[in-house]
Amino acid sequence: MTTEPVAGSEFIAHEAPTLRETSEEIEYEMRSAEGAMWTGGRLVIGIGAFFFGSLAFAYFYLRSSNNEDLWRPNHITAPTGIGAAVFAFVVASALLYGYGTTRLRAGNTLDWEVTGWVTVLGGFTALGLQVWEFTQLSFFPGSSGYASCFIAWGVMNTALILGGLYWLETLLARWLRLRRAVLDDGGPARSTMPVARLFRANLEGCWYFWGFIAFVNLVFWVLFYVI
Amino acid sequence: MAIDTRESVSAEHSGHTAPPVRPTRRRPGWLGPHLGRALVGAVGGYAFGHWIGNVIGSGYINVQGSGQNDVAIVLGLSIGVVGWLAGAGMLDYPLAKIAGREPLPPAPSKSWTRYLGPALDHKVIGLQYTVVVLLFFFTGGLLAMAIRTELLNPTSHVFGPGTYISVVSEHGTIMMMMASSIVIGPLGNWLVPLMIGSRRMAFPRVESFSLWIFAAGYLVILAALPLGGFPTGWTGYAPLQTQATGGMDAYLVGFAVIGIGMICAGFNLLATIINYRAPGMTWSRVPIFVWSVLATAALLTLATPTLVAAGLFGVLDRTAQTAFFVNEHGGSSYLWENLFWFFGHPEVYIMALPGFGIVAEIFPVFTRKPLFGYRIAAAGMIGVALLSFFVWQHHIFQSGINPDMRPLFMLTTELISIPTGFIFLNTMGTLWKAKIRYEVPMLFALAMGFNFLIGGISGVFLSDVPVNVTVHGSFFVLAHFHYTIMGGLVFAFFGGLYYWLPKMTGKMMDRRLGKWHFWAMFIFFNLTFLPLFLVGLLGQPRRVFEYAQNLQTLNDVSSVSAFFLGASFLIFVFNFVKSIFLEPKPAPPNPWNSLGLEWQTPTPVPAYNFARIPVVLADPYHYGTSDGQAVADLGPRTLSLAGVVAPAAGALDAQAVTGEEGSADPRPPIA
Ligand code: HEM
Ligand SMILES: [Cu+2]
Repeated sequence: MTTEPVAGSEFIAHEAPTLRETSEEIEYEMRSAEGAMWTGGRLVIGIGAFFFGSLAFAYFYLRSSNNEDLWRPNHITAPTGIGAAVFAFVVASALLYGYGTTRLRAGNTLDWEVTGWVTVLGGFTALGLQVWEFTQLSFFPGSSGYASCFIAWGVMNTALILGGLYWLETLLARWLRLRRAVLDDGGPARSTMPVARLFRANLEGCWYFWGFIAFVNLVFWVLFYVI
Repeated sequence: MAIDTRESVSAEHSGHTAPPVRPTRRRPGWLGPHLGRALVGAVGGYAFGHWIGNVIGSGYINVQGSGQNDVAIVLGLSIGVVGWLAGAGMLDYPLAKIAGREPLPPAPSKSWTRYLGPALDHKVIGLQYTVVVLLFFFTGGLLAMAIRTELLNPTSHVFGPGTYISVVSEHGTIMMMMASSIVIGPLGNWLVPLMIGSRRMAFPRVESFSLWIFAAGYLVILAALPLGGFPTGWTGYAPLQTQATGGMDAYLVGFAVIGIGMICAGFNLLATIINYRAPGMTWSRVPIFVWSVLATAALLTLATPTLVAAGLFGVLDRTAQTAFFVNEHGGSSYLWENLFWFFGHPEVYIMALPGFGIVAEIFPVFTRKPLFGYRIAAAGMIGVALLSFFVWQHHIFQSGINPDMRPLFMLTTELISIPTGFIFLNTMGTLWKAKIRYEVPMLFALAMGFNFLIGGISGVFLSDVPVNVTVHGSFFVLAHFHYTIMGGLVFAFFGGLYYWLPKMTGKMMDRRLGKWHFWAMFIFFNLTFLPLFLVGLLGQPRRVFEYAQNLQTLNDVSSVSAFFLGASFLIFVFNFVKSIFLEPKPAPPNPWNSLGLEWQTPTPVPAYNFARIPVVLADPYHYGTSDGQAVADLGPRTLSLAGVVAPAAGALDAQAVTGEEGSADPRPPIA
């Protein structure tokens, strides 16, 4: 153990009772926080990609193994109508939300609010259909590899859509509370208030995530209903 | 729940007068979120879930009259975890967000009780993690003692074969869960913001969530024992997985729960390291430990979702009667093996890289030399992380994979030992011609180098298909990974603890007791596991409670050494209790005279870490070169951030960030 002083240590002799940040420090950390939102939003997609990638792996693994000729006897298929409806609702919701976000960027908050809440409705419809589909299956979960993958898909997609809905709903609810202040400060697209800046970063992440939801639904719709 | 005052403050900023602040409902402390409430939530949740599961499952043919209802167990465990999280206050904030609120954290508490509840200060969470990790470690250690007791004699038994395999499985699973967080949780969380010059984590609530769900995983995996244990070892192979009784559900739910915690921990650390580095903390100045955390966090975040998905498939097989892993019904047991090891091999590096990070951090300090080949070490860590996704089949060489695939995976596996070797050589290069200070942390770091050499080289043997054919499933494999994980990671962790505890607790650990702990642990670790290479080569299979008579001597050497190895941790516990609580000796702010940024802070480190955001001027390894040059300008500012940031119009004015209600600060809370 040594006690010789280390360069730099003379600066830290005192401990202030509370932290007083300079405006440039606050700005520096604001940028970090915005960056973290950005990184976090992309990472969530990465996590989802590996999660659903595992299901896709299982799908192709069991399909190519075709043990006991039980990958997909008689080419059984889950109810195509309901499947198509889930797919359509999810993709339409995501597109609508994307449109709403561009409208918000152009400064039109009402369009964003309306499309946002409609997306929530569309997402809930898709969710309800996805769960209802379980009651309409013509096969037993363990009857084939396809059946097993399909059950897992239903569970995982329910979780995915729920996640997207949660994210979107919290944004919309937050907006209701920030609305007046942010509008007074130049609107959501231009306001420099910290809450508005973080709101924008969050919005961006949520939009990407809905794009991801739509993409996943497209892939698995093809896998389960088309091919 | 704290009230939301954001709107009013925002309004203030835009010239409105703030509406009056509603008074907060204060609830008595014992009703607030804390450990006790979490336990109540866990028990209540389990009972509730179990009841629902019985209602649902009673209609199933496979449940009726079988005496086992996996639906009830799975729901009990899952809702128990939710109850635990709710009790710990982990759901308050996410639920408040549904109403558009973003409640501010309560004022940071100075009382020791803050360690028993939800915390937002990464330093509190780091210490909480330390305690939970040690809980895992000592529980797993006791089970190891049980294993070695059984193996004292080849034929007369303490346990039956079923009990024995349950003990082995429980030991392995607890230890693997522990090892995936042993460094990241305690030291990663505690140190990363300090090392990169940040005042906070990017997502402190996610960080706190990762801790509490990690602790919930402990309860779930412990529940496997009263549920009858599981016979698969930590790898959970199907078809045994599908056939096993209730304890298997605890394994699957437990690993998924731990997995969610691993994802959250990695997610937060990644976002923090990428975004919260102080001005001047360029990628070429980031401490090597932070590099190792970055690579590990990437693996945690991206590899673990596969474990969670595989766990879900397993749970569905056992409850909803799907057939993912059932060959007879169109599934495949190899699917589990593939999914598990697709996660499992990156997991192996999750259990290696942080250890390297610690050792590379400690060597320069105790040799007073710059870290040798810093860039190569950092690149090696990223390289290892990437490659680790492409080698998983070396675990299933003997499991019926297409034999033509083997050379490919033999090649990738041997490829990965190249960057691993580079990292190793970097640390060794630092020792070259050095005058070494043999302090306790340095001893542990040196031992890590010694042990990992044996562990790593035995790994290269294992990756060779012809060798693998003879030793797969034997004690040789077991000795290999104990040398890498216990000999590597756990030694590094204890080195790191001795090194950083003075900063973390403000107290010095006793040096003499530390040395006793070190020598006991080092000698008996090697005496325990070196013989196991031999018994493996001589053909003793893993996970079996009987063995050939002629192997008894070697086994007994191992067992007796294992008891001493276990006892060596009592020295650590004694040292810890004595040095931290009974006869505390205050630690100077920088006892090892390190250049690391984390040591330039006062002890105890204030809630906000740095009074001024540091401006980093150099990497922390220029020992013996330009002495006297500061690694960072810590303020009062001689350099301004100007040029790094230009304050935007409308940015908040300088204000007190105390975390008290009414603050307009929308950034993640400090404490
Ligand atoms: C030089 C680098 C390494 C190489 C080439 C290597 C190679 C291998 C191979 C080929 C196996 C499969 C053995 C078998 O089951 O037949 C194996 C198993 C294993 N290795 Fe390594 N390894 C290396 C480093 C590590 C590290 C750093 C760790 C952990 C920190 C580790 C942990 C494990 C574990 C946990 C297992 C098997 C576990 C089980 O079957 O239960 N290895 N290794
Ligand atoms: Cu491996």
